[in-house]
Amino acid sequence: MTYSNSLAMSRHQFASRNVSNVKFRSSKARTLGPVSNTVILIVLACLLGLLYLTQVTKTNAYGYKINNLQQQQQQLAAQHDDLEVASARLQSLDRVASSAPAKSLVAVAPSGSVTN
Amino acid sequence: MFPSSPVKNDFVLALKRVRLWYALLVVIFSIFLVRLFYLQVIRHDYYRQSALSDQLKQYQIPASRGIIDAHDGSNVVPLVLNQKLYTLYADPTYVKNASTVAAKVASIIGGDANKYQAELTVKDTRYSILAKKLTEAQNKQIVALKYPGLGTQEQDYRTYPQGSLAAQLLGFVNNDGLGTYGVEQALNRQLKGKPGELKAITDVNGVPLAASGNNIMTSPTQGDQVTLTIDLGIQKQVESILAAQVKSSKADGGSVVVMDTNSGAVKAMANYPTYDPSNYADVSNSSVFNNATVTTPIEVGSIMKTLTTAAALDQGVIQPNTTYNDPSHWTVDGFNITNIEQDGGPGVRSIADLLNLSLNTGATWELMQMGGGGPINQKGRDAWYNYMAKHFRLGQPTGIEQGYESPGIVPKPDDNGAGIDLTYANTAFGQAMTATPIQMASAISAVLNGGTYYQPHLVDQTTTADGKVTTTGTKILAKDVVAPKVGQAMVPLMQYVVQNHFIVPPFDQTHYIVGGKTGTAQIAKPGGGYRDDVYNGTYLGFVGGDKPQYTIAVFMDKPQVVAGAYAGTAAAQPVFAGIAHMLINNAYVTPKSQ
Repeated sequence: MTYSNSLAMSRHQFASRNVSNVKFRSSKARTLGPVSNTVILIVLACLLGLLYLTQVTKTNAYGYKINNLQQQQQQLAAQHDDLEVASARLQSLDRVASSAPAKSLVAVAPSGSVTN
Repeated sequence: MFPSSPVKNDFVLALKRVRLWYALLVVIFSIFLVRLFYLQVIRHDYYRQSALSDQLKQYQIPASRGIIDAHDGSNVVPLVLNQKLYTLYADPTYVKNASTVAAKVASIIGGDANKYQAELTVKDTRYSILAKKLTEAQNKQIVALKYPGLGTQEQDYRTYPQGSLAAQLLGFVNNDGLGTYGVEQALNRQLKGKPGELKAITDVNGVPLAASGNNIMTSPTQGDQVTLTIDLGIQKQVESILAAQVKSSKADGGSVVVMDTNSGAVKAMANYPTYDPSNYADVSNSSVFNNATVTTPIEVGSIMKTLTTAAALDQGVIQPNTTYNDPSHWTVDGFNITNIEQDGGPGVRSIADLLNLSLNTGATWELMQMGGGGPINQKGRDAWYNYMAKHFRLGQPTGIEQGYESPGIVPKPDDNGAGIDLTYANTAFGQAMTATPIQMASAISAVLNGGTYYQPHLVDQTTTADGKVTTTGTKILAKDVVAPKVGQAMVPLMQYVVQNHFIVPPFDQTHYIVGGKTGTAQIAKPGGGYRDDVYNGTYLGFVGGDKPQYTIAVFMDKPQVVAGAYAGTAAAQPVFAGIAHMLINNAYVTPKSQ
């Protein structure tokens, strides 16, 4: 049996009269074998792992950002405290009393000496 | 039978070898599996903890301590703030070229380079402190040097922009973060806040990894902001007046309370000598930390006669215009109670004379009237004790927001077989009992305002971190301490004392009312009896317009007065007069409406 005969015979079993056997398609669904399945699963797992790692790295990078911002916040708060202290010191009674305008003030007569 | 072929034999041998390797592989994998099972399942907790101990960091986030401020007229200004400062330290084992390092450090932070060099070359230590309280700018400059062995450490400090103003009233925060003395101690729980917590998986530098699902963070609750009733202007001037008088009278010290007569709000509370709370560690005598106006009761002396008179008036056993025959001495339990020589001996005396001349015999006579008019008896003692302890609330803490408040002592009236009548006669003129300036100011305020005992208080309002404001307000501890007419009677009686004492300049009693009473108190010896070489000077008075507005209590500790002068008149009265004038001159007092 030649190869062409064999091919013809195998087609023949699906052939019927007046039906074009050119349009023939197998009704049986194609399935993947166990090796393919395993490979695909491994690839998917790797992809998922990679995705997890990128997300974790990204999130941890935000952690550093947060940490930096917190440090900045602390520095600004410390600066605010320093400025508040400096402002309070500049307005302190001792400083006001020793200022030039205060030194030029004159004492008023005591209350007992006041006559209306 | 065919003999076995060499090919077949090789195949069998190969198969055996494969099976052997396979078995070996199974054994090795089994060993791995067992070991992994042991490590990961059986020793799971141990290794988990071990890993977490390296990765899991638990931090306490400190809460910022609440600031304390006070009134300055209509403004509120800070008295205590927080500041982050730095400690400069060195590990001498790593320091190279100490002289260069010391010179550079001195050029940044000031100070003596030789001293720094000595610290940088100290042997047998890995931690030598060069300087404390460096500013942020100085810290940055030091860090930029990158000298090996040199480091800075951040530390929170309480900062006092007004310097030593109101130091004893405020107290300080010790190295353990605990409020000590004054408001800091009394309100420590409110001021300190609640620390937060961060529990997180961290990297090698201790930075929390955000991806960890088990991170826990609790934010700290900042301490409450406390606004005091103190008026900065009054406080400052009271401190100046007191300091000047302590120095001029060469007293060991002095204390003053200025209080709103009609609310119990303390406007000034001063002590001298004082200290700088930002450098409390430099203080050698820790007694200077005490706010003596609340912590140090003394035998108050003749200022007590104001309360004795008020009690007698309230009981109706005397009237403001009552006169009596003063014998100039009484014998009680075998001891003589006398007056000072200047009082002029026996005679008919008024209640105004009793206060103005400060007659011990007069106060004893008032106690006798409480018992029915005869010698001192149980009825009189019970009545007087009731007024001292229940009406005037002596012998118990006032509850003011201060650390270490002392209750003072009021003797029980029951006969103890140890001369209780003499003891009680003494209490009538301020001996054999003790009280603090705040107790005396609160008691006379209750008399002068018509009978309401307001709790003396220093806190005007508190503000929580989320902005919730709570006004403390006035708190009435007792009503009907005395009848309103007693207060009305005591005002002119105490004015009479002021008008008849030598005060320069005199007070303008036309537009204001100023009254008071001096006290010269004997000082008990530790072994019994009283010292005859030195006395305490006290003064209790008021200033106001239509009604008493401020109550002033002055205690002077062992002033040295000239021969023939009395500590109350010579040392304490000038402080009262100075403060009363200051309050009038600075328009703190509302003049009479007519």
